[in-house]
Amino acid sequence: MLRDITIGQYYQTDSVMHRLDPRTKIVLTFVYILSLFVFENPAVYAVAALFLIIEIILSAIPLLYMVRGLKPVVFLLAFTVVVNLFFTGGQELVSFWIFRITIEGIKRSAYLMGRLIFLVLASNLMTLTTAPVSLTNALEYLMKPLKIFRVPVHEVAMMMSIALRFIPILVDETNKIMKAQIARGADFESGNIIKKTKSLIPVIIPLFVSAFRRANNLAQAMEARCYNGGEGRTRLNPLKYRRADIVAYVLLVIYAVLIVFMGCFLFRVIPIAV
Amino acid sequence: MPIVDLKNVTFEYIRRDNEGNVDGITTAVDGVSLKVSPGEFIAVLGANGSGKSTLAKHINALLFPTEGAVFVDGMNTADEDKLLDIRSTAGMIFQNPDDQIIGQIVEEDVAFGPENLGVPSEEIRKRVYDSLDAVGMSEYGLRSPDRLSGGQKQRVSIASVIAMKPKCIIMDEPTAMIDPEGRREILETAHRLNKEEKITVILITHYMEEVVDADRVFVMDKGKVAMSGTPAEIFSRVSELQELRLTVPQATELAHRLKMAGVPIRDGILTGDELVSAIMKLWSAAR
Ligand SMILES: Nc1ncnc2c1ncn2[C@@H]1O[C@H](COP(=O)(O)OP(=O)(O)O)[C@@H](O)[C@H]1O
Ligand SMILES: [Mg+2]
Repeated sequence: MLRDITIGQYYQTDSVMHRLDPRTKIVLTFVYILSLFVFENPAVYAVAALFLIIEIILSAIPLLYMVRGLKPVVFLLAFTVVVNLFFTGGQELVSFWIFRITIEGIKRSAYLMGRLIFLVLASNLMTLTTAPVSLTNALEYLMKPLKIFRVPVHEVAMMMSIALRFIPILVDETNKIMKAQIARGADFESGNIIKKTKSLIPVIIPLFVSAFRRANNLAQAMEARCYNGGEGRTRLNPLKYRRADIVAYVLLVIYAVLIVFMGCFLFRVIPIAV
Repeated sequence: MPIVDLKNVTFEYIRRDNEGNVDGITTAVDGVSLKVSPGEFIAVLGANGSGKSTLAKHINALLFPTEGAVFVDGMNTADEDKLLDIRSTAGMIFQNPDDQIIGQIVEEDVAFGPENLGVPSEEIRKRVYDSLDAVGMSEYGLRSPDRLSGGQKQRVSIASVIAMKPKCIIMDEPTAMIDPEGRREILETAHRLNKEEKITVILITHYMEEVVDADRVFVMDKGKVAMSGTPAEIFSRVSELQELRLTVPQATELAHRLKMAGVPIRDGILTGDELVSAIMKLWSAAR
């Protein structure tokens, strides 16, 4: 039952997006998501859609694969659309029983849907094209300024990458413990939720014990290999911006300018007709 | 100058109860003195709980002696400024490969030590692949460690240590959790590093077959060095070894029993081949 857990969702292939520096991709995704929340106007959303389509094409990830990534949010999507469609006040279009569909309602739900879909696709695109190791490296780099506020940036990044390393090991161990308990007659399948939860206690306790033991061993192994905090550390693969990253940043700036321009000035020029 | 010099080392684990009062003291290492010369292949034998791991951690400055002193390549482990030097001079390989692999990709793991030492990036890359080459794992540089066999993981751990260019490596039961095939790979690697790279190896084990090719063997019991000598010398004292709860190799045990039964066979037989030739010699002499 725990077999299918994969960490991250890196899609291994070679593409322009894959080769971009992970920092570029984080900044790109961050700015893109921000841009979805600033303006509500069809022109802005059209540009955002275009930008996303270009990104997807450059990532060489099959479209179907991207669309499947929306599965986890289908319910949320349907829920927000329904709520906004039927319960937004304004100029009435049609009505039956207690439901009234308004023009504002249609607009609102269309925007929300677009926003949510773009948001999920854009962030999936980042994790699909960037290995978890690179993401933690890039985060450490991007968060460096927070050191001024005494945020332990290096330590946080180290913790994240150790967590990523140990998730598969602990999943494996959980499986082993569960099998061992099943062999002793434990039953994880039947009963109501309370009984099922209770039956997990004999799994969780040995798992914790072993996790603490591992943590201790790992700390010792790190010390033995001269780990001494982030001070003075060098990297095997230092992050390096290349030509493509500069191009990406330039495009991002153009995108941002375009969005602001459309949001501020075209707002009244293009009549909002949905 | 000896590469490792233990001077009368004693170490006590102090157990405390919930209030912090001393509950009990375990003397894990008890007055051990030994010297290891550069280039030697040393084996340390001993039953479970005899203090082998505790002793090993002293050489890597992970533990510090309660009494006595430890010198690694002339540096006293009590000298805090020398800590990183000591740890990169005497690298340590632990029993469980999963608990010592830090990177999510093999090359990142091997790079961890040199990264901590502040080695420049290009130099790290060279060291990583030289080390992986030395343990025969260079094709696996970009793999995830989770997909490797136990023996391969342990070889990655060895590469991770030699990437720090140590003069000495201490291996604490590196084969205990590994299948026989992997065990052979690890031992071969250790011997090759010793011969070709002239790295001093201190191999800790409780499998006696693994010590037959060592230069010198120390047998530990209850924190003390109970026996020391060449493998042949050690293995000629079969009944003493058995008293220390160590199982001797089958060939040695058979030779010992033959001798007890009155066969005039020589002492210190370690392998099946030696046993066969000794018996053949007796047989042809008897005819
Ligand atoms: N962290 C610890 N705390 C308390 N006692 C310990 C600890 N580690 C080991 N010991 C005790 O020290 C003795 C030697 O242990 P160890 O060095 O691990 O032996 P070996 O590696 O030969 O099995 C044992 O009696 C063990 O119970
Ligand atoms: Mg031990």
